[in-house]
Amino acid sequence: MKRWMFFTVGVVLGWGVLVGCEAEKPLESTKTTIDVWFHTGQPAEKTVIEDQVRRFNRSQDRIYINLTLIPEGDYNTQVQAAATDNKMPDLLDLDGPYLYNYAWKGHLLPLDNLVSPRLMAELLPSILAQGTYRGRLYSIGTFDSGLGLFGNGKKLRAVSARLPTSPEEAWSIAEFNQILSDLGQIDEDGMVLDLRMDYRGEWYSYAFSPALQSGGGDLINRRDYQSSGGILNGPAAKAVLGHFQSWFKNKYIDVNTDANSFTGNRVALSWCGHWEYPRYKEALGDDLLVLPLPDFGRGAKTGMGSWSWAITSKCRNPELAMEFLEFLLEPAEVIAMANANGAVPATRTAIGLSPLYRPGAPLHLFARQLEQNAIPRPRTPAYPIITSVFQQVFQDIRYGADITGTLDRAVKIIDQDIRDNHGYPDLDRADQDRAVR
Amino acid sequence: MRFSTPGQGLCWKYCSLVASYVVLALLALFYLAPVVFMMASSFKADHRVLSEGSSMLAFFPADGSWQNYLDVWHRVNFDRIMFNSVFITGCIVTGGILINSMAGYALARLQWRGREVVLVLVLALLVIPFEAIAVPLFYQMIIIGWRDSYQVQILPFVSDAFSIYLFYNFFVGMPKELEEAARIDGAGPFRTFFLIIIPNAKPVFASVAILTFLMRWGSYLWPLLVTTGETYRPLPVAMAAFENQVKLWGDIMAFGVMMVAPILLFFLLCQKWFVKGVAATGTGRKF
Amino acid sequence: MKSSRAKSFGGNEKRLEQLTAWLMAGPAIFGLLVFIGLPFCLAVIFSLTTLKLDSPLPVEFCGFEQFYRVFADQGFRQALVNNTIFAAVIVPLQTTAALALALLLNRPLRGMIIFRTIFFMPVIFPMALIAIVFELIFAPGPNGLLNSFLLFLSNGYWQPLDFLHNPHTALAAIITLSIWQGVGFQMIIMLAGLQAIPAALYEAAAMDGADRWQRFVHITLPQMRNTIIFVALVTTILAFRLFDQVWILTQGGPNRATTTVMFETVRAIFKRQDVARGAAMSVLFFMIVLTVTILQRWLAKEKREID
Repeated sequence: MKRWMFFTVGVVLGWGVLVGCEAEKPLESTKTTIDVWFHTGQPAEKTVIEDQVRRFNRSQDRIYINLTLIPEGDYNTQVQAAATDNKMPDLLDLDGPYLYNYAWKGHLLPLDNLVSPRLMAELLPSILAQGTYRGRLYSIGTFDSGLGLFGNGKKLRAVSARLPTSPEEAWSIAEFNQILSDLGQIDEDGMVLDLRMDYRGEWYSYAFSPALQSGGGDLINRRDYQSSGGILNGPAAKAVLGHFQSWFKNKYIDVNTDANSFTGNRVALSWCGHWEYPRYKEALGDDLLVLPLPDFGRGAKTGMGSWSWAITSKCRNPELAMEFLEFLLEPAEVIAMANANGAVPATRTAIGLSPLYRPGAPLHLFARQLEQNAIPRPRTPAYPIITSVFQQVFQDIRYGADITGTLDRAVKIIDQDIRDNHGYPDLDRADQDRAVR
Repeated sequence: MRFSTPGQGLCWKYCSLVASYVVLALLALFYLAPVVFMMASSFKADHRVLSEGSSMLAFFPADGSWQNYLDVWHRVNFDRIMFNSVFITGCIVTGGILINSMAGYALARLQWRGREVVLVLVLALLVIPFEAIAVPLFYQMIIIGWRDSYQVQILPFVSDAFSIYLFYNFFVGMPKELEEAARIDGAGPFRTFFLIIIPNAKPVFASVAILTFLMRWGSYLWPLLVTTGETYRPLPVAMAAFENQVKLWGDIMAFGVMMVAPILLFFLLCQKWFVKGVAATGTGRKF
Repeated sequence: MKSSRAKSFGGNEKRLEQLTAWLMAGPAIFGLLVFIGLPFCLAVIFSLTTLKLDSPLPVEFCGFEQFYRVFADQGFRQALVNNTIFAAVIVPLQTTAALALALLLNRPLRGMIIFRTIFFMPVIFPMALIAIVFELIFAPGPNGLLNSFLLFLSNGYWQPLDFLHNPHTALAAIITLSIWQGVGFQMIIMLAGLQAIPAALYEAAAMDGADRWQRFVHITLPQMRNTIIFVALVTTILAFRLFDQVWILTQGGPNRATTTVMFETVRAIFKRQDVARGAAMSVLFFMIVLTVTILQRWLAKEKREID
């Protein structure tokens, strides 16, 4: 008995030593370590970032990038918790609009003085717009996103739908409803639209708040970001969500348990982002169409923004972190990542080089949308609460909840949070200035 | 015999016997089906897991392969996660039986001022479930900077009111002669405890160890709150995160089998102790 | 303590025993105080403030505001209702099922150990894994395991359901998998209770000519009373702790059909960084558990007095 116990303890300890050694990367003492967090969503992105880190670490002898990968599902929560107990890394990527909350709390360093003018000129306006909070640049993405409808050409032609190629030509909502109903009649199970209900979290705000805006509503009043009243529960927003609810009621939506509803030819349309392009293309080949989102009344709108890099105020060597960031923004690196995840490259040179996004290329629509009709999510520190509430709203609407009641409740929660935080006032920037110094 | 019913025929007895075996067998099928389904699916290509759900193929891995297992091995740092789970649970179990048994012994057999107060405290804390304190404890751990570590998953669970209570109950009911002899020989409480009590109290130690293991092994809520990334994450949370990322069902089922296989083996080997441990929760005094 | 053993030792030794006792009990007491007692007090304090995770604004004392808000929140009220439904279904069902299984197994027949092993097996599976396996079993469409099984049973008349995403079936689905996982644990406790009943009682009853049913009603049930109450208590508390399955499978949906007190609590801190709100919910959660426990103690005590 005793011998057996010693043996077990020995094995576990030995195993621990092995596992520990494996996890510890060889650290050269001459190098400064920069801790970096990156979200893991798609396997391809993970491969690229790991490769980029490896090459960067090898290419010079001053900086060691220590990369930690964190699952996308609760990434923001993890960052929030790390911010509280001061365990933030030096450099991390953030899901777009969460940025403003971190910046408000003083966790991020302004990058204005760190970015080279050459790079500034290179970056897409949408990247700069989203990275800016109260006049200072806090984050830079190496790619932006494209949101639209992916269509199955064969199925759409079967109902002789008009095929728009630019945001101006987008289907009107009446036209779109007609197409869904036509498709539904010839479809085997009647489910024709995929809204990627298999995703969780930020997807719902990212993908469906542009529909609100297209109908004339929004998540919050953007004049002063103090209330959602009359905006999120206004008639325009109600009408838009009413359309969504009717699609669910009419069983047009495939719930997509296995993420294969579009690639498995079960649906004709998938409301989705650029990141699925490679997989969709592989499955559908030339039948794959890239279309703008429907126009709910005030012109087609779409989302923008994706994961972007920020340096934390905990970082001791911002210039070194920036050096890695500049490396990631070199055209070849931007292209490498964009090719892997199908995203819109963040720099002009890279777009020109991109086989996917340059004029005439299959995803040029997405690049064009970013300059034309993409809207950033609300730039306010209240965003985390807004998005969590909207995600709940969308789920409720999906299952047939009363729209007016749901939205009124949502507005109440958002407004209460803003009041609780005294309207998210501009705080004494002492913290940040100390960090800058 | 207890179950022979006087006045009723052999046939009736035989029928009831067959009936209960049939009922048990059907229930057993119902219990085994999800497990067999998981194992079979772990050898299948991802799209076949769902599409074959409507036929008996769901339970047979026709032309299966180990590919999913290799995928899991490549996609996550599986041995690290497995180690985390084993290490965390192991520390809680060993630390727990040591600390709680000492406390239980002190409460049951030693005379000291404050004993009654502590006893009441232990009984009172018995009522507080972990879930009721998770939020402030989470905040507390963040403040002292323990989030994302091993200790945050171990230390809060080592001392446990219920374990103390079980040990206390056992020691109170133990005959006193043995330790009295030892103490007359001049052994202090520590020596008495380690040399006399522990060797004579193996059943209660085994029961508490198994029980602690069962409570902690599958814990999800707390590690979900306090861990980031794979470094300190135990199996259940890592599994849910894995499932959340990409719905490759074959891989997910392979992850499940990899995670549960060693524990299933352990369970089959020490089944007797598992049963005794659980039985102890209900009756308190019988080990 | 009844023993007067301590008196036989001298004063020094007595002091030594005091010290040793504290040394032995100390680590556990320390742990209990720091990791249960302190957070419990903090929960009460936090629930009266506006504390948020990582907020640069000063914390304010706000009285019972958090409690008003929690009760005004439809989500939380629905959570209370769901937990109650869950308990109301699962407590009688799981307790009866556990007792029935235990009665079936408590016979000196061949193979009982194998069956016991099978029914107990899910207990060692982490709930996270079971939830994920059942996600596939409840998969929508005719290819889903349960749907296709029901189609087979009904000879094709069954309309396939999306169990986890249908407001009418989601909670039932969660209940099903919870029972599947949990019943083995209670079964073992019941089995131990059954085996503790003196065989002499049955022999005497058989002598008096009592049939099976009479013996069950007049011997087994009264003898098992405290075990049954205990199992019912544990199951009730478990019902109010419901979280893992919900977090993994439904996130409280569809339409709050599966939201629970713990789910709402975790969401308050996890998604909204609202520590104070989470603390208020924790306090309410504790009061529920306390009520259930007191009720059980009272029931169990009543019995002892009758004896």
